[in-house]
Amino acid sequence: MKNASRYFTRSAIGGLVIGMTGLLAGHADAACELKLGVIGTLSGPAAQWGLALKGAVDYVAAEYNAQGGIQVGNEKCQVAVTAFDGKYTAEGAAAGANAMVSQGVKFIIGPIGSPEMTGLKPIALRNNLLVMGDSYAKNAIGPQWPLVFHSGPGPSGWADPIVKVAKAKFGIKKVVIVAPNDQGGTDIASVDAVAYKNNGIAATEEYYQRGTANFQPIVTRIINMQPDAIDTASSPPGDTGTIAKQLRLAGFQGPIGHLGGPGTEEIARIAGGMDVLKTFYWYEPIVIDEKIQEIAVDYKKAFNADRPENNLFFQWVGAARMVTKAISKAGTISDTKKVAEALRSLPVEDPNLGKGLWIGQEFFGINQELSFPFGIGTIIDGKMQPIIKQAAATGK
Amino acid sequence: MNEFVSAGLIGVSLGAQYALLALGFTLIFGILGVVNFAHGGFYVVGGYIAYGFVSHFGVPYVLAVVIAALLTGAIGYFFELFIVERLVEDDLATLMLTLGLYLVMSTGVLVAFGPESPQFEFPVSGTLQIGAFHLPIENIVVFVVCLLAIAAVYILLYRTDFGRALRALADDRQVAAAQGLRPRLLFPLAFGVACGLAGLTGALVTPILSLAPHVGDPVLATSFLIVILGGLGSVGGATVAAFLVGLVEAYSSVYLGGSKGALALFVLVLIVLVVRPTGLFGREVRGA
Repeated sequence: MKNASRYFTRSAIGGLVIGMTGLLAGHADAACELKLGVIGTLSGPAAQWGLALKGAVDYVAAEYNAQGGIQVGNEKCQVAVTAFDGKYTAEGAAAGANAMVSQGVKFIIGPIGSPEMTGLKPIALRNNLLVMGDSYAKNAIGPQWPLVFHSGPGPSGWADPIVKVAKAKFGIKKVVIVAPNDQGGTDIASVDAVAYKNNGIAATEEYYQRGTANFQPIVTRIINMQPDAIDTASSPPGDTGTIAKQLRLAGFQGPIGHLGGPGTEEIARIAGGMDVLKTFYWYEPIVIDEKIQEIAVDYKKAFNADRPENNLFFQWVGAARMVTKAISKAGTISDTKKVAEALRSLPVEDPNLGKGLWIGQEFFGINQELSFPFGIGTIIDGKMQPIIKQAAATGK
Repeated sequence: MNEFVSAGLIGVSLGAQYALLALGFTLIFGILGVVNFAHGGFYVVGGYIAYGFVSHFGVPYVLAVVIAALLTGAIGYFFELFIVERLVEDDLATLMLTLGLYLVMSTGVLVAFGPESPQFEFPVSGTLQIGAFHLPIENIVVFVVCLLAIAAVYILLYRTDFGRALRALADDRQVAAAQGLRPRLLFPLAFGVACGLAGLTGALVTPILSLAPHVGDPVLATSFLIVILGGLGSVGGATVAAFLVGLVEAYSSVYLGGSKGALALFVLVLIVLVVRPTGLFGREVRGA
């Protein structure tokens, strides 16, 4: 009798727990929440790029939440952000994508590096995830991945105008392009090399093992080739800073380029200052004007902290806003195909970044690459020059 | 010819840095029988301690380097005394413990200082130009300090009672203990010295390369490769292998390029291990 009573009590408690759980689950279902996944490099030498991405998505989520959420159909949904460190590796991004799928995330902003994009795409394809990534790989997007979009053009869009400016300013006749020996390096360096060659500059590609800490031997090899300029392509800011420092210590006086992701502030910090960089040119994804500066001011208000240092932050704000606008237009937080359709139909326009274009058909075979106006940065005699504004790349 | 000499100078300079790192790693294995996976972590923490004291407290760099070596040594001492010592006979447990410590250290640094590299400059800069050679002054200073530190380790091990005791424990722990040597007293000290060496290297080298929470990863890999090549636990082997690795890395990178250079190094290690599975100076069986 005593056992039966104990059994009854336990069953009653168990039933109550299950009932409460169901009630809570029902309540959770009722509250609409849009989950945005962020997969990017949040540690290691390319962390600056990932922090810019995460900061941008956090900012866009906060923008919506401050207005009570994002309008999706007849309801307003809160926007939540969940982030995963892809560590600039294919396996890291793949693990991140699987983790996102298990959390019910349908939209991924990121990743950044080509190895990450390569690891993520098969999982995105299998699970119908909509991806807005920023890899500069030659196959970053393509017709076989209709739900994968590009947040900004790769070197196929901007390398040529930058090379033209660098050639005119510095009189470059021979360049050595140095980059990591994985897809994140080779795909960018080879496209940069074509841009140099098309402008009558002899270009040699030189690769190093990702994870190299001391570049002295490679620097010696490069200097022995007697180039006029050395382009660090998509080498992460951490690596580029060390390379630049060691190049200058080894006596190289020519211009150093960085036709890959931006990060000049961190590069200068590691190299030992603007004076050490001396003559430097790079791709700047956004030209910061008053309108764009408003984002930085709003970010400070929202998070009581400065916006992430890397200027890719602004490009990511534009990209994340485009995705959320498409979600709102499609009226769904689960049907990614419908959202992709809405995204393709949206004009490229941002209240801060201005007007842009959808490009990519010529290089990737699919018009899913966002292109906003961009800039060319130069440092001459250790002094930062005004960024040279360029119209949005057309990809032609 | 200039290229050949330049590569040689770089190789020797790299070798000295690697030797300082590998000595600590091989000391811990040789004496305690522990593979210290936290070695890269002590390098990173050493760098950040020196950076912190220089940039936040205005301490002169030289003093900051000494503080970094002492503090990382103290962390190592207490880690061995309170955690590793209890499980020192269990290879797998100590491996997991040191790996765990590495994760705690690198994540702790990430939380405290952020993932981006700070500006941490060597106090002396400039280049010494001799003919066609450019010798960065900071590299020369680091090279000299590394050589002095390596000499100090050798004196400590081969010219002091403490060193003799450690070598006796490395040879045969039971016999040494029966002779009155006290492993519980000496092991934490040995662990502390080894971690202090890693911290010293971090404080010395990160200003001439870069400082970030992840920079310990390649350090661990390089140290491991060197002690395997030199023979696990062999102090002399680690020193010779460090200079060998530095020279091979320099020459192969200069003449073959960054990718093939890395491959050449691993091929060399593979060949050595096929010919001599115990490494260049390794023994068949560890006594301890």
